[in-house]
Amino acid sequence: MKCTADIDTRDVEELYINIDPIQAGGRLTVDAQKAALAYSDGYSVCDNCRKPFRLDYINKPPIAEFHRDCAEWLNMDAVRLVPGARRGFQAVASSMVEKGDPVLLTALSHYTEFVSLEQAGADIHEIPMDEHHHITADNAAARIEDVTRKTGKTPSILFVEHVDYQYGNIHEIAGIAKVAHQYDIPVLLNGAYSVGIMPVDGKALGVDFVIGSGHKSMAAPAPSGLVATTDEYADIVFRTTQAKGDITGRTFGIKEVEMMGCTLMGVTVVGLMASFPAVKERVLHWDREVKNSNLVVDALCAIDGTRVESDMPREHTLTRINTLDSFDKVAEIHKKRGYFLSNALKKKGVIGVIPGSTRVWKFNTYGLTDAQIAHLCRVFQEIARENGLTVS
Amino acid sequence: MSRRAVDALFQALYLLTDIRFILRETAPVHELDDEQKVRAGTAIEKLKKQVTILEEELS
Repeated sequence: MKCTADIDTRDVEELYINIDPIQAGGRLTVDAQKAALAYSDGYSVCDNCRKPFRLDYINKPPIAEFHRDCAEWLNMDAVRLVPGARRGFQAVASSMVEKGDPVLLTALSHYTEFVSLEQAGADIHEIPMDEHHHITADNAAARIEDVTRKTGKTPSILFVEHVDYQYGNIHEIAGIAKVAHQYDIPVLLNGAYSVGIMPVDGKALGVDFVIGSGHKSMAAPAPSGLVATTDEYADIVFRTTQAKGDITGRTFGIKEVEMMGCTLMGVTVVGLMASFPAVKERVLHWDREVKNSNLVVDALCAIDGTRVESDMPREHTLTRINTLDSFDKVAEIHKKRGYFLSNALKKKGVIGVIPGSTRVWKFNTYGLTDAQIAHLCRVFQEIARENGLTVS
Repeated sequence: MSRRAVDALFQALYLLTDIRFILRETAPVHELDDEQKVRAGTAIEKLKKQVTILEEELS
């Protein structure tokens, strides 16, 4: 079916169970889909924009209230919406890092964290992960000491992932923040895989910045996200423009430099807002999601030769699985080679595993119903049996 | 201006969205339980009423 002559209708969520690791938490709620229908035009939230002409002051629709509610929900002092988590990293890096400053991120950081710091001219260093694929406070402390000694400067910021995209492991954030603060290093929490799907309390974690992704974990259209901070840093990251035209003498009110004025207008912001009540509610049921994640992992591990590379038992819905000694053995002799698995899954109503992957791959069970979880468990084991693997 | 037609249009789109989400939550087999069947049936009945309004207003 086509939307237009050249664009297919995207109906995969209606036809399949989608376990794509980066898509699960971003699926829209029914309310977000409805809001998107009404606000599909580009400047649609600007109909009632009045002085001082800034997104976070608009009361109809209640965008101003949403900013306040979001900050309160994260237990931070101020929030701004941004077009994706990466723009949050960028805003913080641009505000907090001077050219040549040493900075810390981790062995599990997303490339956009690297690039945002590269843009700011930072001297980038990584905190290594331990043998369990964890970023620890001890490793953070050792790396701070090491980098400070080598560069002669204390790192100007530390970026760390609440939940990393490679293993879906939850990291030792409070401990890392405590260590960093002993050296007066502010800490940015990358919450792309936590904000919107599991409880996040910025003050309890002790971080200075919280970054969230709307389209990864807040049931919102792309590109959307947020940057939250404390009163200590709000005036720095959300500083207003001082620019003045030298011929016209024009000034630009309270537009914020790092936000480039207004950020999300239309589908993205109303999608975030429309999903927010459901998002606030769903994080309270994170235990159910973790239970479902473990059900699927247990079903996969019952297939001989399959093992989980993420923490076990699972504490998150994103999981890295190793099937080198199970599905990859099948791929060695199957006529479709590595594509047999994704093809077989699709025939049984499951998509989201990268076509060709039978070695180490990731999946995400977030948001599936109990019936869908049962279907997924059954399908993995059916495919294993149909291809001669033993299911214990 | 037909406010009634525009309201019916959006109401119909919202009802279709409700149906869309029943398809999503029951994918891939689309075997609806009793509660889902009631929700789907109610949405379809309401949708028919909105389509009737559109016919009245636009024909």
